[in-house]
Amino acid sequence: MSGADGLPARSRGVIALIEENCTSCMLCARECPAWCIHIDSRQETLPSATGRGRDTTRNVLERFAIDYSLCMYCSICVEVCPFDALHWSPEYAYAEGDIRDLTHEKGRLREWMWTVPPPPALDEHAEPAKELGAAEKAARRARR
Amino acid sequence: MTAPSWVARVEAAYVGAPGVGAGLDAAVEEELGLVSVDVPPERWADAVAVARESLGCTFFDWLSAVDELDDGFRVVCHLAARRTGAVEHLVVRTRIPRERPAVASVAGVYAGARWHERETHEMFGIDFTEDGAVLRLEGLLLPEEFEGHPLRKDFVLASRVAKPWPGAKEPGESDERPRPARARRRALPPGVPDPADWPGSTAQGER
Repeated sequence: MSGADGLPARSRGVIALIEENCTSCMLCARECPAWCIHIDSRQETLPSATGRGRDTTRNVLERFAIDYSLCMYCSICVEVCPFDALHWSPEYAYAEGDIRDLTHEKGRLREWMWTVPPPPALDEHAEPAKELGAAEKAARRARR
Repeated sequence: MTAPSWVARVEAAYVGAPGVGAGLDAAVEEELGLVSVDVPPERWADAVAVARESLGCTFFDWLSAVDELDDGFRVVCHLAARRTGAVEHLVVRTRIPRERPAVASVAGVYAGARWHERETHEMFGIDFTEDGAVLRLEGLLLPEEFEGHPLRKDFVLASRVAKPWPGAKEPGESDERPRPARARRRALPPGVPDPADWPGSTAQGER
């Protein structure tokens, strides 16, 4: 079970990855001052849905790895990710006997996601999240 | 009557005439709760001495520098004064030119500053002087044969040379399959000097 119970919600223990959100845009790997994020992706071509338009391409993530022997827990990657694919988990107990095992590949990074706490509640009278407003607006429009 | 605030006391000691600090040409500022004093380099040692003599800063915490590129180096030291139930902090700063990076030693004020000056000397290549003579400071952390000053911004870290930048890949690219068509200009790692500018390098930069 979790060894990080009782830690504040914003503790920087380990970085978790929601692979589904990652577009392999490389922003985190480029911003990382410690050079500890490794991303490989390939381009896939999808035929146009209607059969008449142009084919579309998309990037498929092949490898996403964070080398925790280099990571300095600065959180820049988490901040910079435009798609909320990276999140802090308070879990800290992942010491290893072999330095190579400190490189967490995407499967392991995905598993950390289960330990990410829900975001703390907003302060009283705080502006609600933009996504909420957009979703409510869309729902109202659909009802009309 | 309440005691004057720490920043008021610092101001009185440094800019209040005719105090001990008169003629130091100091500028006191308070930012984010931290009081700092900027002095011209020729008054550096005097300014540090004033902190000890007039403000009771008996605790020397650290001394180091910041590479500010064309603006030269900022030499910084952090001092503290204890009073009942609290500690007051003071930062003393000066800026020295890049071409002639030298400043007076403050080891005469705080003997413990010598360690920090040795470290600053080897990491930034800043000279410390005593009575105008440059001190021959021994190294502290680096091996004897080490060349260069690793905390200068133009110093290229070996780990940045030995290993390719993970951010060089474009989206859709992998180590096994680099994309052949590269219309866009290659991105360069931030903070790492262009390979063409590396000392002793004959490499042509990708720019």
